[in-house]
Amino acid sequence: MSRPPSRAAAPQAAGAAAAASSRTPVAAPLGLAIDTTFDDTSVALLRGRREVLANLTLSQYADHAEFGGVVPERASRKHLEAIHPLLRAALREAGARDPAGAPLALEALDYVAVSNLPGLLGSILVGMTVAKTLAFLLRVPLIGINHIEAHPYANFLVHGDLPFPLVHLVAAGGHTLLIHQEAHFRWRIVGRSVDDAAGECVDKVAKMFGHPMPGGPVVDRLAMEYAPGPYDFPRPMLNEPTLDFSFSGLKTALLYFLREREGAAAPAEGPVLSAFLAAVADVLVGKTLRAARQLRVPAVTVSGGLAASRKLRERFEAACAEAGLRLYYPPPALCTDNAAMVGCLAAYRYEAGRFDDLTLEGYPNLPL
Amino acid sequence: MSSPVSGSGRGPLSAPAHPVAGAAAADVAGPEAALPLAEPPLARPLHALAIDTTSDVLSLALLHGGAPAGGCFDAIGRRTTQEILPRIGALLEAAGLAPGELDVLVVARGPGSFTGTRIGLAVALTFAQVTGRPVVGVDALHLLAAQSEPAPGLEFPVLLNCARDEVYHARYRWEAAGLARVSGIALTGIAALAPALAGQAVRLRRFRPGLGTTPEQEAAFAALRPLPLRHPQPDGARLLAVGLGRWLAQPQRDWRRVEPIYLKSEAFRTWRAQP
Repeated sequence: MSRPPSRAAAPQAAGAAAAASSRTPVAAPLGLAIDTTFDDTSVALLRGRREVLANLTLSQYADHAEFGGVVPERASRKHLEAIHPLLRAALREAGARDPAGAPLALEALDYVAVSNLPGLLGSILVGMTVAKTLAFLLRVPLIGINHIEAHPYANFLVHGDLPFPLVHLVAAGGHTLLIHQEAHFRWRIVGRSVDDAAGECVDKVAKMFGHPMPGGPVVDRLAMEYAPGPYDFPRPMLNEPTLDFSFSGLKTALLYFLREREGAAAPAEGPVLSAFLAAVADVLVGKTLRAARQLRVPAVTVSGGLAASRKLRERFEAACAEAGLRLYYPPPALCTDNAAMVGCLAAYRYEAGRFDDLTLEGYPNLPL
Repeated sequence: MSSPVSGSGRGPLSAPAHPVAGAAAADVAGPEAALPLAEPPLARPLHALAIDTTSDVLSLALLHGGAPAGGCFDAIGRRTTQEILPRIGALLEAAGLAPGELDVLVVARGPGSFTGTRIGLAVALTFAQVTGRPVVGVDALHLLAAQSEPAPGLEFPVLLNCARDEVYHARYRWEAAGLARVSGIALTGIAALAPALAGQAVRLRRFRPGLGTTPEQEAAFAALRPLPLRHPQPDGARLLAVGLGRWLAQPQRDWRRVEPIYLKSEAFRTWRAQP
């Protein structure tokens, strides 16, 4: 996996970053993680790799509802409004675990981590500037995190140190990716969606049926309640040897399916959406298992918003049991964007001494 | 860099003529009190930092023990996000100051570049969060007004053209106590605004002249008569002068909150109604 240029060993910036590098590493560092890559403002406080002291996320879904999709400028504005109150709330929540109950002091932090790619650049810059300023003022290391690399760490957070190698399916927002990971920080993308991400496709199809964003939960609920019935939708690229995905054709199939029935008695949405999600699940499960076979890995993880789907989990559990693969997925709250997963990866980075300096950049795209 | 708190040279600090508006929305919509530009009569010499990232210029100014201690006014565009903290660090280090020793931070809060404004505010609000020290927000048009030659009673329009033909504008007046904004800040197309400016000298700053404008709109900009300036740049010295004056006039106010001034809807569809 190529890394953005800022990840390379850059000279330490003036002032605080230089001072930070001389701090003695601690065994169970207290870390702050910030994620503002898309439309959720997330702040987490972690002790060591896995003790989550606070993990707060403010969703902007309602703020963008009038536009039917996320408006980047509005997202950036909301992040700036939300981030400091959310940070104070996280410090209070972490402090409440202590018998004295005082908010955790920022001065106690050992590092500050922030997702600096990929996502909406204007939104990333809000979280990143706050994180950099904190690192500068508190004289602690700054750790820039790839949000996509962090998603599978929701599994490390709840299941402990998973043995490598692993294949990760990350089905998050605008990305559907298969990642082959051989060690911490050593991973590469082996498959990705060539058009719509799976989650995007589910949201758009849910919208065709009049459901607001995010569409995943309602489609999943209907898929659990209804059998697919007589409907059958395409499984794009499932039988092609590539590990890449394509979901726009499936979305179009649903669009034509509805158009052909315009004016006639509307088909019951439960069975239709159940059949649709079955097609999505077949592609995701099929490609993930193919990657595991090709790369000879004994275990796979699933993460990202779509990993919260109970229907998808059922399919994965059955398929992995049959194939003799170990399967890991996080609880639903850690599937969607959250800063705890960012903090978990950052704790490994802290232990390895892999820090960034205050010139860290933000990147909208995932490096190829 | 010129002297940060020299502004008008009007002598000792005096109380503002009117109370300074408290809420940010009111700041934008209505007039703003006169602000003195004078050396602050502090018991202890003041340490202060000014940050302006509302344009493609990164503007910083440090006041160390009441005296100017460096700064910058560099058109670095998108590199601001990379350079702002290392540069602040280098400024403080050269002055032998720790960030926690700053008494106050002054920040430009727009209008201007939306992303740039947020970068400055994110630094400033985080500074307030960590240190508990005051952060004073100053509107970017005020800095342009503060470049002018002080003349009691002089009232003039200030115009900021960030994109295409759109102009952020407000009126300012030099009063006995200092410089005051006497109108709300609004956003208007130059063609609609030009007739009201006929015959007046204006302070105009343009970010990208000629980009996305018609020849007629360019002619309207060209026809504006420029106000003579005392200070060539709307730099950190102007920001310190305006911000410190505001803070010292009301030191008891809660200075931990600063709101950005956007004046334009997020979806870029509508302009906010003018006050």
